[in-house]
Amino acid sequence: MSDISAITVKNLVKSVATQEGELTILNGINMDVKHGESIAILGPSGSGKSTLLGLLAALDSPTSGEIILDGIAIQHLDEEKKAAMRKQKVSFIFQSFMLVDTLNALENVMLPAELAGIPKAKEKAKSMLDRVGLSHRLNHFPNQLSGGEQQRVAIARAFICEPKVLFADEPTGNLDAANSKKVADMLFELNRECETTLVLVTHDLVLAKRCERQLLMDSGELTEARNNMSDATKPAVAVTDSQPAKAEAS
Amino acid sequence: MEMTLAWRLFKRELLQGQLVLIVLAITLAVLSVTGLARVSERLQLAINGQAAKFIAADRIINSPTKIDESILNKADEIGLDRVSSLQFNSMVFAEDKFQLVTVRAVEQGYPLKGKIELNSDSRVSLPGSGEIWFETRLGGLLGYPSSLELGHAQFTLSEEIARLPDAGFNPFASSPVVLMRMADVAGTGVIQPGSRVTYLAQFTGNETQLKRFEAYVKPLLNNSQRWIDVQTGDSPIADAVKRAERFLLLASLLGIALACAAIGIAAQRYCQRHYDVVAMLKTFGASGKQIRTLFGMHLLLVTLLGVVLGLIGGFVLDMVITFLLPPEIAAYSPPLYRPILLGLATGFISAFMFSAYPLLRLLSIPPLRVLQRQLEGLQLGMWLHLLLSLTAMALLGYLYSGSLVLTLTVVAGVLLLGLLLSVLGFFMIRMGHSVGMKTTNPLQLALAGLRRRAKQNAIQLVGFSSALVLLLTIFALRQDLLNEWQKQLPENAPNYFLVNIAPDEVSPLKRYLTANTVKTTDIYPVVRGRLTAVNGETFLTSEQVEAGVEGRQGISRELNLTWRDSVPPNNEILAGEFNVNSDEVSVESGIAERLDLKLGDSLTYIIDNQTLIVKVGSIRAVHWETMQPNFFMIFTKESLGAFSYTSMASFYLDDNKSQVILDIIKQFPTVSIIDVGTMIKQLRQIIDQVSLSLTLVLVLVVLASSLVMIAQTEAGMASRQRELAVLRTFGASGWLLRMATGLEFALLGTIAGLLAVIVAEFILYLLKTQVFELNVYMHWPWWGLAPLCGAVTVALLGVWRCRQLLKKSCSDLLKAG
Repeated sequence: MSDISAITVKNLVKSVATQEGELTILNGINMDVKHGESIAILGPSGSGKSTLLGLLAALDSPTSGEIILDGIAIQHLDEEKKAAMRKQKVSFIFQSFMLVDTLNALENVMLPAELAGIPKAKEKAKSMLDRVGLSHRLNHFPNQLSGGEQQRVAIARAFICEPKVLFADEPTGNLDAANSKKVADMLFELNRECETTLVLVTHDLVLAKRCERQLLMDSGELTEARNNMSDATKPAVAVTDSQPAKAEAS
Repeated sequence: MEMTLAWRLFKRELLQGQLVLIVLAITLAVLSVTGLARVSERLQLAINGQAAKFIAADRIINSPTKIDESILNKADEIGLDRVSSLQFNSMVFAEDKFQLVTVRAVEQGYPLKGKIELNSDSRVSLPGSGEIWFETRLGGLLGYPSSLELGHAQFTLSEEIARLPDAGFNPFASSPVVLMRMADVAGTGVIQPGSRVTYLAQFTGNETQLKRFEAYVKPLLNNSQRWIDVQTGDSPIADAVKRAERFLLLASLLGIALACAAIGIAAQRYCQRHYDVVAMLKTFGASGKQIRTLFGMHLLLVTLLGVVLGLIGGFVLDMVITFLLPPEIAAYSPPLYRPILLGLATGFISAFMFSAYPLLRLLSIPPLRVLQRQLEGLQLGMWLHLLLSLTAMALLGYLYSGSLVLTLTVVAGVLLLGLLLSVLGFFMIRMGHSVGMKTTNPLQLALAGLRRRAKQNAIQLVGFSSALVLLLTIFALRQDLLNEWQKQLPENAPNYFLVNIAPDEVSPLKRYLTANTVKTTDIYPVVRGRLTAVNGETFLTSEQVEAGVEGRQGISRELNLTWRDSVPPNNEILAGEFNVNSDEVSVESGIAERLDLKLGDSLTYIIDNQTLIVKVGSIRAVHWETMQPNFFMIFTKESLGAFSYTSMASFYLDDNKSQVILDIIKQFPTVSIIDVGTMIKQLRQIIDQVSLSLTLVLVLVVLASSLVMIAQTEAGMASRQRELAVLRTFGASGWLLRMATGLEFALLGTIAGLLAVIVAEFILYLLKTQVFELNVYMHWPWWGLAPLCGAVTVALLGVWRCRQLLKKSCSDLLKAG
């Protein structure tokens, strides 16, 4: 971890209009994440974690405030510039994997590299899949893979472009305990090797504790979590919002 | 990179069957346009070919003066085949008898189309030099001499003509026809300066050559020269051909509209399925340009595949139909380029314009959808979609038909359907959401679903009702056209005409025919007269017209006039009242238009060297294609009865009653008998071919409609899948879900059927009044049948699709939903 900031957030506010009036989701967030650092954002459902992730990753625009990602103030960028910035600097892992159903594992991993015009995308993708232990599943389609395998493909895809910052949204949310551990091990290992800054949104305390810092989101406000987080602010077990994926097949 | 990715996505999605619907829709659009264009062009060629036999050529120039050599040279240069001929009236003499005849002097090569029917089995093609072929009745009038004199020359009478191919249908042509060599005309010395002669040049060639020649020659013709084709000629089938052509055009237009609807529905599904892919690509930093290129290429590949399959399918369809058609039609082979170009244009224009709106929404999917799955792209408004769709349809329609009226009629129908759907959608949405799923019984579940999905259902109704509208329209038009033709040429259409019946022969002839159980049409008196002036303004003479004198032009020949108390059968009064006052005349609408006659105009006739002035009392539509005595001018008995007249009648005679004809010839030697049986047979043959084409077209439209219905059901089920999955997971029985889906679709089908009837009646009204000139009437049985059929068809499709879905496991359903 260096002393240079990968992400700096100042007075970030996000409000949306609803039928009942304006709803403030994020209320004056300030944070700083150093290069190579890993942070976990915890909080109950609806607290604004995913909204914050969307803003940090330049997928959404804030109502006010400032976000500096690897030295670039992204809140003023137009969609094209945001896309270009994402292509160069960030990557993602999602709870629902977000693999393209019609492409096989290899092609899914190649996708970001091809978009970024990285040469030898196929070789790199093969090597990444080898690193996540899926060299025997190159030609399998997502519906032929278990949930754990799909997330490993997603991890390979996330690292193929060697991003500066990796955003992970409940990466183990759809997996059982054994698969969660396996996926988390791979994620942190690759993160360490690539010196990537990791921003992880999760309900999973075990996963969160593997990050260097834990931040707590509650009612649109972000605070540094205490080392021994109380039961009032943490879920006792990993809770998922959606269907669990089928058990690991292999 | 985008190209590679587009190709990869295309290949994978194709293999996984995800592109079936959109490819099938494009294929069907191209197939129906290519196939129908090819089949209809083949049929048109065949019909025109048959019709051309009625004028013995493809085109004719008819001129009172010698036709300019440069025109004939141009025809040779273009590569047309041609023959020239002369037609004039002259007296012929045989011993002590003489008779006025119509002489037709022709060159070697005549007739270019059809053949001269002789009473003998002779295989000789034309009279030799010094020979004359004669119509049977001339033989009777002159006592079957072996030779006759025409002018200064003597001719041998060799063959009896049963029918000349281009004799036309004119029962008033009282002088019999003789056929001779043009080279022999000079020797007769009958043609002198100032003689009234018709110069004819007949041409055949392919459509391109004919069009080129037409473009060259038409501006060169003067007012007294006429350009004749099968449709403008006196051919009795002209109207049938024109209507059949319009029908084929319309059917193809509706086929295009249907296929476009299928593409529209499929494109929407196609884009919806890619929402997540676009969001994911954007998240990984794909630029707008990259995504546009990727999906543009992807759609291009999908379209290319659809177009290629459609072209192949179109030609296979043409081959199958050609195989089914009689060989004399199948032998016609129109050029290939037009159907191919039309197919290509249809495929690409419809695929891209109908996909434009869904594609714009797809491209605007925000990357944030990866975190918030409910996010969709821009809501640009249905008006844009409607505008693009209508533009595509109108563009294709005009490109294909070249007819603004047809195109606008289809567009008007679409607009009415859109309006009705908007109103309906508004009310459905106003009904509001129901609380809960109401899973107690299938009907309640169905009704709750109908209200909950008010907006989607209104959109779904577009597909269902447009398929039904087009089906009903084509079905009704086909039926009306067939009925109309059947009415014009019923089984017992008159096949003999009797003309030149002297007044004192009328009663005996009637008695004879009644005794032999032969039913005639009414007996019409015929007076010959010339129309010379309108409102006191005298018509120009033909010499004045040729000299280019400005003024009112009339009819350069004598007309056959009649009188009657009532409107003849098959005639329809368009304006005024039929002969209320004795000094009134009823005028046929075509000639009224040509001479610019209006009600109340005073017309001056010269009859038997006396002047008769009458007023236009009514304008009449006449169906010339009915083989009945028809007249341009019908007077009252008071005004015309005083002039000398003969009478005419027509009747139908079975082949086994030919003795009647021989008896008439013997008992009434001055009465002329004209046999039009052969012509009727030819007409029937043409109408049968046309009817066959209409049926084939109907089959294609049924296929296209089915595809639209299936595409719409597919799209409808996609929006229900998640709900089905949830209900299934919570233990809803298959029966409940199938029944509820079936009932919901049945309700949609009923509404679609009702909408379809309203729109179809509207389109039919426009088509019948503006394009086909058919009687307008309401199709009352449809108002019950269409909603019923709609309900049954749509419900069956829904239940079938629901049954397929329910075979899947709950988790598969949830994942897919």
